Amino acid sequence: MTSPSIAAMSPREIIARRCAQEVKDGEVVNLGFGIPTLTSNYLPKGMSVIFHAENGCFGFGAKPGTLEADSDITNAGTEPITLLPGAAIMDMITSFGAMRNGFIDITVLGALEVDQEGNLANWATKRNGKWWPGPGGAMDLCYGTKKVIAALQHTDKSGDSKVKRRTNLPLTGRRCTKVIVTDKAVFDVLPEGGLLLREALPGLSADDIRAITEADFTVADDFRPMNFDLA
Amino acid sequence: MSRSKVLSLSEAMVRVKSGTRLMTGDFVGAAEPAKCLEWLVDNKIGNLTLITCTPGMTGGFGKGHLYANGLVSELISSHVATTNESSEAYLSGALMVRQLYPMGTWAEKVRAGAVGIGGVLIPVGVGILDQPGLFPDLEEPKQKVTVGGKEYFVEEALRAEVSIIKGWRADPLGNVEFRYTSGQNQRDIAMAGDYAIVEVNEIVPVGTIPPDRVGCPGVFIDAVVQGYSLEDQHRRYRDHWIKLGRLQPIAEGATP
Repeated sequence: MTSPSIAAMSPREIIARRCAQEVKDGEVVNLGFGIPTLTSNYLPKGMSVIFHAENGCFGFGAKPGTLEADSDITNAGTEPITLLPGAAIMDMITSFGAMRNGFIDITVLGALEVDQEGNLANWATKRNGKWWPGPGGAMDLCYGTKKVIAALQHTDKSGDSKVKRRTNLPLTGRRCTKVIVTDKAVFDVLPEGGLLLREALPGLSADDIRAITEADFTVADDFRPMNFDLA
Repeated sequence: MSRSKVLSLSEAMVRVKSGTRLMTGDFVGAAEPAKCLEWLVDNKIGNLTLITCTPGMTGGFGKGHLYANGLVSELISSHVATTNESSEAYLSGALMVRQLYPMGTWAEKVRAGAVGIGGVLIPVGVGILDQPGLFPDLEEPKQKVTVGGKEYFVEEALRAEVSIIKGWRADPLGNVEFRYTSGQNQRDIAMAGDYAIVEVNEIVPVGTIPPDRVGCPGVFIDAVVQGYSLEDQHRRYRDHWIKLGRLQPIAEGATP
């Protein structure tokens, strides 16, 4: 099988494809909105995971056709979903209890910034002197999920690193991030803090990553190019 | 035989006046009491304090019309910008938000209000939401307590003068059945209101809803009002989802 051409992929697709490789068979998964949602498109065929929606569902499936859409079957972003065999509905108290109390194995969350201590910021920027727009369910997810993946573009529009030594934005979770996936690199956040560079986009060296990254990091012994071979 | 709780929209909604502290059920616009919200807009009931999970669904739907018409003065929620209308009202200074709660914290505060306890101890956001200057409109710093060596926020119960929830069907006793993901925390919201209204797709005779399918016992409900039929509700959401690009437009000639 030919490997999809990385050159032809958008940054969002690179991130989503790489995030999908962090998910293990059988896990309970919560995907945030935006790039994280795309992750579900790239899970290996035959992999069986349980998708969780904050509003109160385990085991939802793909978006329905327009005429099949049921306005009482929705995800946490008010999108129509379907319920797979084995799905379970619960109330909101139970759903958020599951999130705080460690029943969600893995979450992929978009981030404005992430730092080398694993702090993740995704709910607030300053607009008109006020913090905007709000945490929704993201703080609950960061608090209790066993493995938090931060998914973000490596640099902002002006080329500044979004992987920081220390983020000054209000946090969503303190030291919660386990893995950082960008369109250029993959880092592990070490348990004691600090980043380990595991992978880079094919063609980029560790020094290339250092040149576009504010955070300090060490390079893994088995540092390697990202691999999207689906075979 | 108890008196029927079925009321006309106006008979029930007259409880909501200018300045009322109002709680409504929904999850980002799903399972909103649509007819009751329309009544508020039609009757220009303003200066509301609105307690709700999120502001609603964006793009001119349901609760969004409340902010667009300047009817909400204060929002108690987890977010300010799930609707463009609430986001604009907040950023222009027309909508007061003293602090934002993680969604699970918001739900637990409502639950506390529902079940007669003073509040709950919440670990989420400690060391983050208590940072000085984050919420300048807070009169006092967030209260914390240490239990078993761990720090928690003391989050007070939330209650309202009027609560409005949305169910699938209800009987004249006020027993409510929900469909799928639309149960949310609607029962807690009903219990946390001094006066609780349920809007439903269908009003059915007593005995229709199996007792183990009652999601909100009628004891917690004061008024039952007829909302959109389920079919019309589906059509409203599908139309809006098509407008937002969340569903494909229906092909010419397709039958629903």
